[in-house]
Amino acid sequence: MELILEQFPIVIQSLNIGFIQTLKLFFVTLLGAVPLGLIISFGSMSRFRPLSYLTKIVVWIVRGTPLMIQLLIIYYFPGLVLDNPIWGGGESGRFLAASVAFIFNYACYFSEIYRGGIQGVPKGQEEAGLVLGMTRSQIFFKVTLLQMIKRIVPPMSNEIITLVKDTSLARIIALQEIIWAGQAFLKGSQGISGAIWPLFFTAVYYLIFNGILTVLLGRLEKKLDYFR
Amino acid sequence: MKRRILSVLLCAAFAVSMLPGCGSDSSNADSSASSDNTASDDSQESDMQYVKDKGTLVVGITNFEPMDYKDENGEWVGFDADMAKAFAESLGVEAEFVEIDWDNKVLELDGKSIDCVWNGMTLTDEVTSAMECTNAYLNNAQVVVVPADVADQYQDTDSLSDLNFAVEAGSAGEEQVSALGLNYTAVTAQADALMEVEGGTCDAAVIDSLMASAMIGKGTSYEDLTYTIGLNSEEYGVGFRKGSDLAEELNNFFAESYADGSMQECAETYKVQAALIEQ
Repeated sequence: MELILEQFPIVIQSLNIGFIQTLKLFFVTLLGAVPLGLIISFGSMSRFRPLSYLTKIVVWIVRGTPLMIQLLIIYYFPGLVLDNPIWGGGESGRFLAASVAFIFNYACYFSEIYRGGIQGVPKGQEEAGLVLGMTRSQIFFKVTLLQMIKRIVPPMSNEIITLVKDTSLARIIALQEIIWAGQAFLKGSQGISGAIWPLFFTAVYYLIFNGILTVLLGRLEKKLDYFR
Repeated sequence: MKRRILSVLLCAAFAVSMLPGCGSDSSNADSSASSDNTASDDSQESDMQYVKDKGTLVVGITNFEPMDYKDENGEWVGFDADMAKAFAESLGVEAEFVEIDWDNKVLELDGKSIDCVWNGMTLTDEVTSAMECTNAYLNNAQVVVVPADVADQYQDTDSLSDLNFAVEAGSAGEEQVSALGLNYTAVTAQADALMEVEGGTCDAAVIDSLMASAMIGKGTSYEDLTYTIGLNSEEYGVGFRKGSDLAEELNNFFAESYADGSMQECAETYKVQAALIEQ
């Protein structure tokens, strides 16, 4: 116990650095995947068949393979096969490669949630809009969009909370997020070696952050409750 | 109509983005053929030239005292780290240290995200077949780690047969226990193997002696563990990409620094001088 108290400040500092990396990956993924998901969902709903089939195949591949494999492919493939290591070996290159993998993966999941939200709005509203002489983009932005947002908040909350925990997968390409930082003390780092508790302690960070997110997303859901 | 045009455009964009993917298949065959060439004859640009042009020697490491670890200022130090810095200087480039996942070291090398693995790496058959390795520079051994209160029961190899071992997957320790026909579980890191013993999920672990002396005993989470017998003796080397001319260059550098005494000096700083191999 005394030993843990002695190690605590050093470990917390190092875990904080790791958690900042986790948060960076989380927010970058969210910022990229939310709009990209919308574009992909338009693709899969397109009436132009080749485009919708192509999008559906891409979504099938991305959702049908483990994110861990996608990370390995995106990071190592350029150097291994194309002989052109575009990401470089440093921390920033690893972060960039991880961001690309996460954004693309999550955009595909989001696109299906959006599609559900859009197609859940009754067809009659679109027809009414057309009768009133509105263009299709006017109908989407003024009639469909807000109803869709309301509908997708619960499933999106689910995915967002999963994303927080999935960021730990990026350690496979040696991105030094919080799990990596915790594990470092097992081997020895900053004079502490063979410490087990920092690895388990990382769970507290995830739990607190997900608690905050749950409250915020719950509030958002309530706010959007003004129409049914 | 506008929608149709937009769809076609999007589709075209998709198709274009897929093209490099297809193109890569054919160029893939070319590039793998050409990389085979570099291995057999030196008609292609050499690896040393590649590193010099780049200006950095990217060294793949894990946090491993006393070979590569961070000092109070966050600077990478250790016997391997200091030698790597000196070697990079002799090439006229900068040494850059990158922490890697040890399981992926060959991927990292071949993917060119690092230029060498210099981290107390045991020269096993697996390592020497996948990498261009230097001569050995340090001696090491694989030792058996057991709880201290039962240590006196396990002082020879015969007594180990009824134990369940935890070893790092792909490590020299795994090679030893499977050669002895012992029961074992492969885990991801040597540190995890110790956790298995501490938690009681395995009876014993096999890890490097240099690591064992740093990681178990007083002042660690493993105060009640100890190490008993050594299963073999083995040697550390540095790994480069297959066919790289940097391995030979580093052999020469080791010989020079051993001759002028700077290698011994560096070893004494990190208390590994007893294990140093004459170059």
